[in-house]
Amino acid sequence: MYWLTELFNFRIVADYADIFIDGIINTVWISLVCLVLSIFFGIFLALMRMSSVGVIWRTAAAYIQFVRATPLLIQIYLIYYGLPHLIGNFFNEMQTGVIALTLHTTPFMAEIIRAGIMSVPRTQTEGAMAVGMSRPQVLYYIILPQAIAKLISPLLGQTVILVKDTSLLSIIAVFELMGAGLLMFSETVSATESYVTTAICYLIIYLLMLVASGFIQKKLSGNLAGAQ
Amino acid sequence: MDWFSEKWQIINSLSPFLMDGLWKTFEVSSVAIMLGSILGAILGIIKTLDSKSLKLVINIYVHLFRGTPYLVQIYIIYFVLPSLGIAWLQFDSYTAAIVSLSLYTASYVTAIVAAAIDSIPAGQEEAARSVGMTKAQALYHVIVPQAIKLTVPPMASIYVIVIKSTAVLSVIGVAELTRQGETSILRMPGDTMFIYGLIAVLYFIYCYPVLRFASWAERKMKTSGSPQELA
Repeated sequence: MYWLTELFNFRIVADYADIFIDGIINTVWISLVCLVLSIFFGIFLALMRMSSVGVIWRTAAAYIQFVRATPLLIQIYLIYYGLPHLIGNFFNEMQTGVIALTLHTTPFMAEIIRAGIMSVPRTQTEGAMAVGMSRPQVLYYIILPQAIAKLISPLLGQTVILVKDTSLLSIIAVFELMGAGLLMFSETVSATESYVTTAICYLIIYLLMLVASGFIQKKLSGNLAGAQ
Repeated sequence: MDWFSEKWQIINSLSPFLMDGLWKTFEVSSVAIMLGSILGAILGIIKTLDSKSLKLVINIYVHLFRGTPYLVQIYIIYFVLPSLGIAWLQFDSYTAAIVSLSLYTASYVTAIVAAAIDSIPAGQEEAARSVGMTKAQALYHVIVPQAIKLTVPPMASIYVIVIKSTAVLSVIGVAELTRQGETSILRMPGDTMFIYGLIAVLYFIYCYPVLRFASWAERKMKTSGSPQELA
């Protein structure tokens, strides 16, 4: 077993356990905030994208295409260096990071939500409007409940991507899991321990998410089967 | 007008430099896409065979690469592998970039190819076997030609993700577009935003056609009634 401790010094990793726990907490926290914000704004963006007014849907489409066709890293740089130009140093690194990541994730959420809404047959809308519902009522009572069932699996997939994307925030000095790895490396200069530990932490989060998403999907398909 | 002529001058003086970076981005991404697709196709086909242990190994590989951020993968391949002391794992930054991106691409392609093959009805293979084809022949003549069509839209989407991931290579010093941009900013620190905007436009020019192709292929597939759960 000697070669193993030679290759991977468990004692150093144990010394840095606190830092990694802080990093995990920050990663989870950033992901949650961005997830909630991007779903919230994503609904609006999806509705804008489906608007019949040319200016509105074109603006939404241009934003979606721009975000999808440029790297997240460049978007982070644009926000990190650009936002202070526009509004001064109003936000700290962490907040800037959350803003950048939300602006990045929102279009993906919007496209998922739009696909979900479009998958509900038109006749459903027409039927609901025929019995006298207003447009918001149709959306809230008829379309969204049906769309959500179809949304859940791509939304979970996008959430996995979001959690991995938080790692890029370490480049603008936001402290999260990758930041914890970089900090450990800068203090110990042992690449193996620092980066392998980081990878293992991400894998643990990923596996927990896989288990949770399997559970959610099972629960949901059970509910749907019961409803039918 | 002053603003325009000033910015135009910046574009003029930076363009050869940034074009070098764009070319490098193109080179790295296309080599990695090619190698990754070949590896992914092989692994995807193996995954659909009946061997449980091979399937397990491939699944572990896929989850390792899909469960960690690409940034972590590049750090491990560039900084950690050399410390193992094995001669052929001492990558320079360019090789590390190709290796890590190819493995990253392959992890996605594997899942796409396996899903496409699984979606071909079992009757097709049984029919092919019953007219006397071997398993390999059935795969080559009957299954793969049908499955390959289904892989086109998700593959194009993955290629866009891979191209965008090359921006991360700037952290290990590969002179691709982002890195060239960062170097330009060191020379012209007053125009940080403008240069990053310029880089964003160059990435957009590269990625947007692929993105459009992906959504075009997806629409085309949907009208022909193929399974949608692939993506």
